[in-house]
Amino acid sequence: MPLTKHCTAMLFGLLFLHSAIFAADLTERQAQLLANNCVQCHARAQIGAPIMGNAADWKERSKQGEEKMLMNVVVGLRGMPPLGYCSACDEQDFRALIRFMANLPEVDRPADRNAVKGDTK
Amino acid sequence: MKNRRDFLKTAAVASATIATTGLLTGCDGFDADPQSPVVFTPGKPLPWINWAGNQSCFPSARLAPAHEDELVAMLKGANGAGGTIRAVGASHSFSAVVPTNDTLITTDLLSGVISHDPTSVQAEIWAGTRMHNLGPMLHEIGQALPNQPDMDYPAMGGAIACSAHATGKGFGSMSSYVTGLTLATPSGELLECSATSHAAVFQAARTSLGALGIVSRLTLQNLPAFKLVETNRVEKTEDVLDDFAARIAHHRHFEFLPLPHTSLCATVTTDIAKDGDVNVGEEDSSAAHTLRKVYNALSWLPAIGDAAYEKVLTMALGGAGSEIRTGQSFEVFPHVRTTRFREMEYTVPAELGAACVREILQTIKDKKIPVCFPLEYRYVKADDIWLSMFEGRDGIAISVHQYGDLDYKAYFSQIEPIFWKYQGRPHWGKIHTLKEPQLAALYPHHWQDFKELRQSLDPAGRMLNAHLKSLFGIQNSVNSGS
Repeated sequence: MPLTKHCTAMLFGLLFLHSAIFAADLTERQAQLLANNCVQCHARAQIGAPIMGNAADWKERSKQGEEKMLMNVVVGLRGMPPLGYCSACDEQDFRALIRFMANLPEVDRPADRNAVKGDTK
Repeated sequence: MKNRRDFLKTAAVASATIATTGLLTGCDGFDADPQSPVVFTPGKPLPWINWAGNQSCFPSARLAPAHEDELVAMLKGANGAGGTIRAVGASHSFSAVVPTNDTLITTDLLSGVISHDPTSVQAEIWAGTRMHNLGPMLHEIGQALPNQPDMDYPAMGGAIACSAHATGKGFGSMSSYVTGLTLATPSGELLECSATSHAAVFQAARTSLGALGIVSRLTLQNLPAFKLVETNRVEKTEDVLDDFAARIAHHRHFEFLPLPHTSLCATVTTDIAKDGDVNVGEEDSSAAHTLRKVYNALSWLPAIGDAAYEKVLTMALGGAGSEIRTGQSFEVFPHVRTTRFREMEYTVPAELGAACVREILQTIKDKKIPVCFPLEYRYVKADDIWLSMFEGRDGIAISVHQYGDLDYKAYFSQIEPIFWKYQGRPHWGKIHTLKEPQLAALYPHHWQDFKELRQSLDPAGRMLNAHLKSLFGIQNSVNSGS
């Protein structure tokens, strides 16, 4: 089996484990948005995107804080396309997906309370 | 064997050594910073921005139906839908087909295989299904798309709306695989369309730019699952052009990517895999960045910039062996895109392709246009879809690109008139400047048919944003279809 396929298989195994552990962090809708959008890059080795659930990949990025990570997701950064391909995601979805992939703790933030909610239905 | 990735990196280092720092020309600067002109502040309204970062809007309603009946209700005005309504899939179009500050309906949640028929090898899918998900989904039922573009990010509905395509003499665009579709009209009616049911709507909706409503389902004519082997090489552009007819005749798929300011191109040859085919080398998703480093390091050299650039690339690439990728079709067709760019593409009649690309390459050279991003040259079979770029004629699709953080307008404006000279039809999802009069002349068979059908389905013009109005010659204040 080629190495890349082996790595991909391993990744999906880890992803499954990770999903099982943290599934409660995402709503069913957010899990579908994750599968349609985020997984195509963040569960694919060797393209430069941090792999979801891989703490080492997220360590430095997480130091920026959730607000900066959110802004990068929305407007795009390097290989990360604007909105991460997800036109259906609202701010709360993006925050949940960032926390899920980077394994960030959920904390109470003023910005959360002020976020424009429900602009996707 | 040393692969192209190693050679390109060596070339970049060698070029940087040759060049004096601080004297680089317009191809410098990498996309290390956010590329969108849109500013987003957490807690404030969320923008919509396309993949390339050149289109954006702030929709007042952003709706994501999870079921077909929700889509219908939204088209009738539910959930705050109003004003201009546009649909969006993966946001991969470079043209302004999506932006609206009124209602944006996203198809993310309309995803998956609905049913399939092993005998006819057809599958009905939700139109929001992303291509990267569809491959494995079809594989599970023993099917595969006959052909796919070289990236798999788009939603199928968006790909069909713009007649997305790949390459191959025996293969039409993605729209040509569609044998049936369900259209949710602007009035909220569901029309099941095929060659025998609402046939005119079917021929229009297979490439509609989202002007007729929102396609919710697609029935695809697939093939039994198959494996491919793709071979990537670096060759001389003129040799490839001379041999092009033979290559497209003898291989399932063939395309090539000329490198501006050089005599070189990258070729991509794809065939059904045989027992024993194995991967050789490694795909380099950062090759476009590395190419840019080489170009930047050398292109400023007075008089000899092009020669030095080609010499380094020839040293770097000429000795590289083939890179080979093999696997299931949905694994081999797409490539990773980590380099942001903007793209213009026109399809010219197949017999004019060689002359057109030669004139483009010569123009870049003669006018010293500072560009190093490869062009792309693909063959697509004719179809009978009203607004398909391939309607009535086999076509050569020629693409030009510029890095996402550089201004593309000056470059594209010098190349676009060349496409016009060769009867080029612009890709609906890519950058172009044509308006209704020119477009009508390029689609002599069914342009008026499409306009009349659009008018009958959407007399109020609810599905038309400013870009679509300019394409169809409709004044902002007048929703006339004529």
